[in-house]
Amino acid sequence: MALTETDVRGIAEYARIALDTDELAEMTAYLNDAVAMLDPILEYADADVEPTFHPIGDLANVVRADAADAGRSLPIDEALKDAASTRGRSFRVPSILGEGGDC
Amino acid sequence: MKELAEVLKDWEAVIGLEIHTELTTLDTKMFCGCTLSHDDEPNAHVCPVCLGLPGALPVPNERAIEYIVKAGLATNCQIQKRSMFYRKHYFYPDMAKNFQTTQGPVAFCMHGRLDLDVRGRGAAERPECAFGEGEASSLASASANAVGLSASMGEQMPEGASCGGAGELGLPERFDDGSYRVPIRILRIHMEEDAAKLNHLGGEEGRITAAAESLVDYNRCGTPLIELVTEPDLRTPEEARLFMEKLRRIFLTLGISDCSMEKGSMRCDGNVSLRRRGETALGTKTELKNLNSFKALHDGLAYEICRQAEVLEEGGVIYQETRHWEPSRKRTVVMRVKETADDYRLFPDPDLAPFDLSDEFIDRCASELPELPDAKRDRFEGAFGIKRADAEQIAGDPATAAFFEQAADGLAGKAAQVVANLIVNELAGYLKAAGASLEESGIAPTQVASLARLLAEDAISSNQAHEVFEAMAESGDDPEKIVDERGMRQVSDAGALQPIVDEVLARCADQAQQYRDGNQKVIGFLVGQCMKASRGSGNPKLFNELLRASLS
Amino acid sequence: MAWIDSLSAAQIAAGVVAGEFGATEVARASLDAVECRDAEVGAFLQVSADAALEAAARIDASRAAGDPLPPLAGVPLAIKDNMNLAGTRTTCASQMLASYESVYTATCVQRMLDAGCLPIGKVNMDEFAFGSSTENSAFHPTNNPWDLERVPGGSSGGSAAAVAAGEVALSLGSDTGGSIRQPASFCGVVGMKPTYGAVSRYGVVAFGSSLDQVGPFGRTVEDVALAMNALTAPGRDPLDGTSQEFAVDFCEHLDDGVTGRRVGVVPALMEAEGLAPEVRRAVERAAAQLEQQGAQVVEVELPHLDAAIAAYYVIGPAEAFSNLARFDGIRYGYQEEDCANLAQQSALSRAHGFGREAKRRQMLGAYLLSSGVYDKYYYAAQKARTMITRDYARAFEQVDAILMPAAPRTAFKHGELSDPTQMYLSDLYTISLNIAGNGGISVPLGLGEDSGLPVSAQLVAPAFHDRELLTYARALEVAFGAAPVAPACAQKGGELA
Repeated sequence: MALTETDVRGIAEYARIALDTDELAEMTAYLNDAVAMLDPILEYADADVEPTFHPIGDLANVVRADAADAGRSLPIDEALKDAASTRGRSFRVPSILGEGGDC
Repeated sequence: MKELAEVLKDWEAVIGLEIHTELTTLDTKMFCGCTLSHDDEPNAHVCPVCLGLPGALPVPNERAIEYIVKAGLATNCQIQKRSMFYRKHYFYPDMAKNFQTTQGPVAFCMHGRLDLDVRGRGAAERPECAFGEGEASSLASASANAVGLSASMGEQMPEGASCGGAGELGLPERFDDGSYRVPIRILRIHMEEDAAKLNHLGGEEGRITAAAESLVDYNRCGTPLIELVTEPDLRTPEEARLFMEKLRRIFLTLGISDCSMEKGSMRCDGNVSLRRRGETALGTKTELKNLNSFKALHDGLAYEICRQAEVLEEGGVIYQETRHWEPSRKRTVVMRVKETADDYRLFPDPDLAPFDLSDEFIDRCASELPELPDAKRDRFEGAFGIKRADAEQIAGDPATAAFFEQAADGLAGKAAQVVANLIVNELAGYLKAAGASLEESGIAPTQVASLARLLAEDAISSNQAHEVFEAMAESGDDPEKIVDERGMRQVSDAGALQPIVDEVLARCADQAQQYRDGNQKVIGFLVGQCMKASRGSGNPKLFNELLRASLS
Repeated sequence: MAWIDSLSAAQIAAGVVAGEFGATEVARASLDAVECRDAEVGAFLQVSADAALEAAARIDASRAAGDPLPPLAGVPLAIKDNMNLAGTRTTCASQMLASYESVYTATCVQRMLDAGCLPIGKVNMDEFAFGSSTENSAFHPTNNPWDLERVPGGSSGGSAAAVAAGEVALSLGSDTGGSIRQPASFCGVVGMKPTYGAVSRYGVVAFGSSLDQVGPFGRTVEDVALAMNALTAPGRDPLDGTSQEFAVDFCEHLDDGVTGRRVGVVPALMEAEGLAPEVRRAVERAAAQLEQQGAQVVEVELPHLDAAIAAYYVIGPAEAFSNLARFDGIRYGYQEEDCANLAQQSALSRAHGFGREAKRRQMLGAYLLSSGVYDKYYYAAQKARTMITRDYARAFEQVDAILMPAAPRTAFKHGELSDPTQMYLSDLYTISLNIAGNGGISVPLGLGEDSGLPVSAQLVAPAFHDRELLTYARALEVAFGAAPVAPACAQKGGELA
């Protein structure tokens, strides 16, 4: 079943990607094309094999010791360096429940 | 609104808990080598991994895996050898990657169980009608959807998992004294990472509503966190509170967390729904947040049960929603309504190799388990002969239990009970008032042992013991020294006390005669006169004996 | 004196060690070549002259002090711009990261620098590695040094072009569905995708975490072997939980030859629709050449390969959606100003920070992971992955390596392939290795007789048999000649002073 613009708007809201009307139409067409291209995969859904989530052979139980890695921790100026908006030693975000601006 | 007791006669409350515990005793975070933060300046413990910088990769903390396996073993869970980490996606600034690394359908620990002993007033919360056979029909496990995972997400569910591998809901076992024991099933304990802290500015202080902006501190982001999910087996707020207390005692004994509800290192959410007694279908549940003390857990659930009952009895509908407990106003308020199930788009984290725990690893964890509170309580009760309630309280806190064992070393029966009394009454009271930990107080087990000896030898009275304890705690001096310096030592030498008895009997001839005439009560007055004459240093019991002997 | 582009990495390092020229002279020559050639090629997004000269000065000082020099002492290196190098911008060719400055260094980059390489700069790519042409760069396209009207391939187009143009001797790329092997083929250089886990991914901005692998480009097989040594010799990276120990000397058996080796060809792949006749003939010549050198060429089947592209376009976008979720403009990256609330700020930052293809892939991934859809596609794709991996395992019971095309055709013109789903289908020959995880190498075979552009063949070996790939590649190099610098660029600036 083809994805509608309403479906695509829902995905875009979830994925936090604002789309204007033209983009929504184009994205909907793209997603339907792309999903159609994936048809060959459907027949594998019931294949009697285990899925391979990690192409790493039998590698398992990869862990590190509970030891501090001081060399990797960042001084505050480095930690905040790439942020567009900060206050004091913190990252700043605008109102989380603020009004307006549906997108 | 009706009282809880009234409500629970007609309605059965079905309660499940989700308990998050930070593994605060580890040195580093779950997936990176940043040290854990304990109230430090914002963003002082961050690195490319926990800040989610582009290109950074996670590597799990081995000791965190060890800790969760121990938590599972201590709560009778089946340890799953094979499991994976999953990514759980939601856009919120408290998650640096906008997904949380957590576990999927198979957690390290599945299908455990803890037995609760419900005593005293708390036992009365479960009404008479809730002990009958009818209860057994309400077993339906709600586990399948408890964590919002579909069974085919990439892992084989363990044997019997779909119908509750830890067995069916058990019936409470009732005892003559009105107490009862009830088994509570644990669905799972999974490993995950904690989120960052948000500080909301403007608007109502500290609350997200109407805040103008929020500041993000990633110190806590990535702290190892274990989440325990119970089956909905709890039926009263008291059972919920006891479960949480019991779990906390176990985790403290394991040494995996400081379990501070105040600081948020142990946090609890409650799910509660009501159904008419005898019904089997589950009602619509609400999720309760901000239950961050034992009292809040109990009172929040109690309020919510009464609120739901009122709504239902008035013909209303319960909405599936998240509600916030406001302890100051003693009510719950809506935080958000869940119209549809959240779609977190879980899938196995490709950056984290699967786990396939060896028997050796699990055996080693088992061999390193300390004696757990229940076993310790039973041992204290058996070996030292102290009261069960005292044994339970002492065994629940590892530091107190160790303290007791040293102070009561070699003692049994009455002598050990004296030590237990001092710990449960004097020591616990003092620490609470002083707001100090046992360690910080500097009080030594040998000091309490000495004090107990003085009491057992009748060298001091129980009233004096309180005074000596306070002085000992303040000064750090040994009890003997305090007793000697203050001249508190009781004189229990009959030879020394007899002259005082003789003098009092001579002075109080009328009362002596009354006693001889059969007025036994007057002996109290005479003992008081003796104590006064000895300036409080005489042993009152011995005075009593000497007086009776002299008058007979 | 020599031109910098006439020397291989091995020759440069040998010259520095022998004192024929200093590392500083090499750095200057490489920077000069970039200066003179890159205006036309457009491989570089950022030239890190200071860092290169500092690294060179350290090597020259070491030599003066009589200290032993590392194996790639003084070799100019270009770094794909999805790899962090502290002190440089790491943009992923995206507006999202246009001003993002790295505060740490990727393990693969650090290991190349530790081996003595000079970081000449960061090179162009398709935005976040989404693409096969480097046309999806937010900044500028890169031109194929063999024909500036054509694309260099992608997504590691800048890495391939910089080596083909002779601006550097070595470069690093990343390969998620062919992003090293296809541009190597288009630009006529050697490009290797090692086995998944052989090279650390720590510090490389993730696209598809279970598919991505870092690898080197060079103009000679020996140079690629030297780079593989540098990338793997220090052992597995404790910072990448999927990296594995791979302790072999990649230079050791280069000239062992192929006598007695069994090489497979897959008839279905040689007859696939869309395979250009000149590419097919080149691969057949390569097979004949290996046979002539003593190898036995046999036919093998990979029956589930038809599912590889579909599996890739499920797994890749799903992982990409997840990996790119972190770009919300809060901690780093483009942030939209003056938004009413956080949700709006994130949605607009992402809408304006990401290019069109990056948004498409994330949307596709978010859809494929949604409940109800996950089982049909994502879970099924991972099962197909198991089948494809088994196909390779069965084929490798019969043969030691498989020979196939790397790309179905030679480099196309800018704008020639505009339909994204058509572009996806051109990855047929490279994608299955990212699905299965084993390594492959694209080896140049001269110029195609129809287009006059570089053609190549791809060799594929079982997982962690990457060293053998280099032996086969060397055998072809002996027969077909080492990759030349693209003629339009050769000896244009870059004289060793």
